[in-house]
Amino acid sequence: MSLAELNARLAAKPAAELRVDGLSVTYNTARGPFHAVEDVGFTVPAGTNLGLVGESGCGKSTVVKALMGLLPEGTGLTGRALLDGDDILGLTDDALRDVRWNRIALITQSAMNSLDPVYSIGDQIVEAIRAHEPVGRATAWARAEEMFALVGLPAARLTEFPHMFSGGMRQRAVIAMALALNAGMLLADEPTTALDPIMQSQIMARIRGIHAHMRRSMVLVTHDIAVVAETCETTVVMYAGKVVESGPTGQVLGRPLHPYTMGLQNAFPRLPVRGAPRQPLISIPGVVPNLASPPPGCRFAGRCPFAADLCRTTPPPVAAAGPQQAACHFTDRAEEFRAAAALPETWRKMRAAA
Amino acid sequence: MRAYILRRLAQSVLVVWAVTTIMFFMFRVMPADPTAILLERGLTDEARQALLERWGLTGSLWDQYIAYLGNLLQGDFGASFFYRKPVWEVLFPLIVNTLWIAVPGLLLGAAIGAAIGTAVGWARRGGKLERSGIFLATVIRGVPNFVIGIALLTVFSSTLGWFPGFGMGDPGETTGFARYLTLDFLHHLTLPLVAVIIYFLPENLLLMRSGVVENRTEDYIELVRAKGVPQRRVAWHAARNSMLPLITWLFPALAETIAGIVVIEIVFSWPGVGRELVLAVTRQDYPLAQAAFFLLAVMIVLANLAADLVYGKLDPRVVYK
Repeated sequence: MSLAELNARLAAKPAAELRVDGLSVTYNTARGPFHAVEDVGFTVPAGTNLGLVGESGCGKSTVVKALMGLLPEGTGLTGRALLDGDDILGLTDDALRDVRWNRIALITQSAMNSLDPVYSIGDQIVEAIRAHEPVGRATAWARAEEMFALVGLPAARLTEFPHMFSGGMRQRAVIAMALALNAGMLLADEPTTALDPIMQSQIMARIRGIHAHMRRSMVLVTHDIAVVAETCETTVVMYAGKVVESGPTGQVLGRPLHPYTMGLQNAFPRLPVRGAPRQPLISIPGVVPNLASPPPGCRFAGRCPFAADLCRTTPPPVAAAGPQQAACHFTDRAEEFRAAAALPETWRKMRAAA
Repeated sequence: MRAYILRRLAQSVLVVWAVTTIMFFMFRVMPADPTAILLERGLTDEARQALLERWGLTGSLWDQYIAYLGNLLQGDFGASFFYRKPVWEVLFPLIVNTLWIAVPGLLLGAAIGAAIGTAVGWARRGGKLERSGIFLATVIRGVPNFVIGIALLTVFSSTLGWFPGFGMGDPGETTGFARYLTLDFLHHLTLPLVAVIIYFLPENLLLMRSGVVENRTEDYIELVRAKGVPQRRVAWHAARNSMLPLITWLFPALAETIAGIVVIEIVFSWPGVGRELVLAVTRQDYPLAQAAFFLLAVMIVLANLAADLVYGKLDPRVVYK
């Protein structure tokens, strides 16, 4: 198969749809089961981006690993993940052979360590291509050169080894690798976390550009809601292993229903706008609860400035307002909470109490 | 790179010179007389004196040392007291004999050990394969190699009679290199070779296993898995990254083998250089023993240099300065 034929074949792949339903992941640790992810569900319509946000340790990366089948052996896994209708959850490595990279590819979190140090980067991209397409080395290499051009790296550097690349270049190489087979679904697991802010925005701009160009579907895992606001049609907010709020990005970030989403928004620095009042930076006091023994009620109750007794005893139901959903007892008071959450005193009082 | 090799070679010459000097004086301070072994053949005092003069053992220690170094630089190792032949003529066939069991034994031991080690390292943690693999390797490593040799002899030679029990066989009509290509030679070679393989196998197995266990949880292995390549290919990435320590071990081991498999040579009566070295020391055959040690030192030094260079080929991150 020639390069032109390979390119045509890969370009014909449609964007994929992903429906995750009731996904729960339980790590079996020496100190008993650890419920890293519980009853997570979301849908990525074909050709769209979904942002999965939340602070460190909330289970975002575990969701990605579950979807790629990369969880350690013996991890408890329930639920379904339908990729274009096929359930890919909990399949064996052999059964996933055709799914991985062919239909669902991964942009890893720590690009620093996710390339094999003893193979050239070109060889590692070629390996991925030839694992799925019946092409010779030369054709695969030519395809790798095109992918390098796409992410803005000179083709000559394909022969180099990972340690010869800077962090930003490595991240771009990993993106080039993820695009090599034009998989219908991309999972980007904090693709910019390890980079400096300038490189972060360059890489995100690159990902957005490629995405607009190739019309793939993507799940973007990040703790940076500014990135989600710019990139994703849908937003899913996770807290302590559960989805607390989800819906169209404009609504979730513009008019959040869950106090955690409100707090998350305040916790990000914004450039001062002339004329507008300076936004104070407010952090959410406290830490994520220990998931080996989660609290009986709402998991956010311990850090929520609006928590009532009900919140500490009863898990909240999922309330829907159109396509926007939130797991909170008091979604009807969201308007009032939003006003209060914008004030630093609201959260400071929490810290004093805690 | 060239400057690096040149500097390393210069260092090597220094090391070899130091070893040679230490050897020379160590043999001279040993309280024994090399002519003593010839006494039983009825040596007269005059004849003994004549021998000492001929062997260059009459001058001062310093004169002897200078003469020895001078000869060595011209490639002259002297003559064996015991065999009354130039040392080189005695040693060369013995070195060849030893290499016949040492090189294939070491390489096969390393290759088989690395292959099994990869499988054991890649197996489920705490599973049957892992536990039995580690157990067997540890036990075999703990058994002295003469016991392995004797066990092989007992089973395959004495009891089953499949293989001959000692020596290299009768060369008969064939001479020179052709003798190594006879079936008779291979028949004799099998048991000592197996003993050498078993001697080297556990070390490599354990080294490789711990490397694979360490590497299999690395991020890059996760990405290789995510690429959807066959499982064997994923394991290969872990193995390839675990090979580096094996290489640093392999080359010096090759040199040390010459001395290290003495016991196996003795058990199988294999006429190798290791066995001869021990005999030469007990016979006070200075020239022979010194030459053998000199060659060992050169081989070990060169092997270390080769290991460093190969390491650079295997690991692109290595820089020569």
